Amino acid sequence: MESPLVLVGWDYRQTPVELREQLAFSAEKLRAAMSALKQEGILSECVILSTCNRSEVYGVAGGGLGDRDPILAVLEFVARFHGVPQGEIEPVGYRFSGTDAVRHLLRVTSGLESLALGEDQIIGQVREAFRVASSAGATRAVLHRLFQKALETGKRVRSETGLSSRPISIPGVAIELAQKIFEDLAPRKFLILGAGETSSIFYDLLLAKGARNIEVANRTFAKAEALCRRGGKAIPWEDLPARLPQADVVISAISVSTPFLSLDMARKAMTQRRGEPLFFLDLGIPRNVEPKVSDLENAFLYAVDDLQEIAERNRQERQAEIEPAMAILDEEIDKFFTWFESLAVVPTITSLRQKFETIRETEFDQRLSQLTQISESDREKIRLMAQSMVRSLLRTPIDAIKEEPDPGRRLDRAEVARHLFDLDVRGE
Amino acid sequence: MDSMMEDMWGQTSLSAITLILYAAAEGFSISHLRTNKDSHGKTTSWLLLVGFLIHWFALYAGARAAHAVPYHDLPASMSFFSWVVIGSYGILLLKHREGSTGPFLIPIALLFLLISLFTQGGVQVLVKNPKLSGPLFAFHVTMALVGYAALTLSFVLAQLYLIQNAQLRRRKLGLLFSRLPALDVLSQLHRTSVTIGVSALSVAAVLGLIWAKINWGTYWDPKVLFTFLIIVVYLFTLFPRWIGWGGKKIAILSMTGFLFVLFSYTIVNLFISRGHTFR
Repeated sequence: MESPLVLVGWDYRQTPVELREQLAFSAEKLRAAMSALKQEGILSECVILSTCNRSEVYGVAGGGLGDRDPILAVLEFVARFHGVPQGEIEPVGYRFSGTDAVRHLLRVTSGLESLALGEDQIIGQVREAFRVASSAGATRAVLHRLFQKALETGKRVRSETGLSSRPISIPGVAIELAQKIFEDLAPRKFLILGAGETSSIFYDLLLAKGARNIEVANRTFAKAEALCRRGGKAIPWEDLPARLPQADVVISAISVSTPFLSLDMARKAMTQRRGEPLFFLDLGIPRNVEPKVSDLENAFLYAVDDLQEIAERNRQERQAEIEPAMAILDEEIDKFFTWFESLAVVPTITSLRQKFETIRETEFDQRLSQLTQISESDREKIRLMAQSMVRSLLRTPIDAIKEEPDPGRRLDRAEVARHLFDLDVRGE
Repeated sequence: MDSMMEDMWGQTSLSAITLILYAAAEGFSISHLRTNKDSHGKTTSWLLLVGFLIHWFALYAGARAAHAVPYHDLPASMSFFSWVVIGSYGILLLKHREGSTGPFLIPIALLFLLISLFTQGGVQVLVKNPKLSGPLFAFHVTMALVGYAALTLSFVLAQLYLIQNAQLRRRKLGLLFSRLPALDVLSQLHRTSVTIGVSALSVAAVLGLIWAKINWGTYWDPKVLFTFLIIVVYLFTLFPRWIGWGGKKIAILSMTGFLFVLFSYTIVNLFISRGHTFR
């Protein structure tokens, strides 16, 4: 039998951006689509993940499909919903069912499918998609368990492998370095030299990190003032030597032909700091800070080339972490399917019967051994009566599970039976 | 006599179990540093906690056997020292969630416990010395060992500072770079442990002087000089601005101070001091 778990999706790898924009689900569209998929009986449960890099519909096949393939039904629905020809979106997307669908979700959540390998944002986006679907009543036992498993796996991969541990962008590397000198950047004093694009990127980044103490110096004072409109203080360029010893981190991105921050100026600043470290981030090309500054004690100097080299090394390290990450994924997929398969009708009913039979036998043996007066034939009659009682008691719940036409609801009922009667759920 | 033999045997076997637990904890803590697996970090903490409790029972059994504080001889004092070192790591874990010091600190506790275990040399029936059983004496030794343990922690932190500093300067950002805390955190933790160490050692010194005056009639013992030297060296690490030093130099100064501590704890105690020979 085909697995009822399906996934239909489009991402940055195969789908052109114009088409991805058309296939994106806004907040309202998301709720409308989930509700329609359920009402039309295509999916009994669904979660839609829509980010700028991907649109994906995860679901459990619904009861209204008849003989239709659930994947094709979802595909047809998405085309109709967004008003795009099915023939146009079909060849540029991907479709998975069963294990492949689960593996894909776990890969996505772990950042293995992301444009920047191992990035962290996606885990939040998956969490949000799941939250929206849950609050809209679109998830039940299976997707609930699946998405929880995916989020857990994403977290596990990030903590147990180096897939996300080291930054791969230049600002990311710079911030990581700064945080290895001063753990909490918020109370530190930053001095940004220059008011161009790079300075502006770092200014925003520092504000986002909660930095409260930013000073900007630029040869054109007005530009420094313009950059500081969201906080911080513009200082005159001439004040640089006086302000330098006060700073904990100096970020310099000025277009000059020779370094303007001399060894002498840095040395004086370091003497005044009396042993306190100072982090120089030279983002200028050509360099803004004299390279010999890095020889000064407690002065840490990193130039663009250094940062680029670190970023590249980190990128390579992340590539090497794919294999260990996949091992974790395989483990978690196994666990999920052990649970999922235990929900299937036959094992649930078998466990249910076994449980009741065990209770019957234990009770029967215990009680009957206390009754010494009754004959062997009466004993047999009582045994048959107990067996018949168990069968009658189980008939209704077993039929309710077996005869439910909607596969999603059938899995739900199996899950409820397992919970109510504490049936052995393996693998978790 | 029988119960004393039992206590001694109990102490040895409990210490051996502790040693195994600490060694296992060291293995898991290295693995935690390498793999960052939460489960390995948790296993380290549990092994240390159980080891720490069993270690306490070992010290208690030893104290019962000797009818004295559990550091009546050098091996026993080393065992107690090892216990305090693990305790200080526990505080670091609980208060700062700082597990990266474990792989560097646990071996020190392990080493001292190992030496203690192999130098115990059977049952020593001490002639009960009333001078060594008062609260003044007990406080003096306890504070001294707490001080030494805190300074051991500061030694490890200074070492880690140098490692992190070297990685940042050489732009070699390896595994330890990601796992070790920031320089300012290491520096702050170092300050805290030195403050505790110097304070405890100062209290121990004052109590020791009072004890010496009462029992020997004089304040003088060469140990006083070495303790004073240790305190002075560490005071410079607490107030680096006095000498305009910072960062790396302070870490090296602190490590030098620790060499004095080791010298004072071993050579001075056994061969130079009058009242610290454990004889």
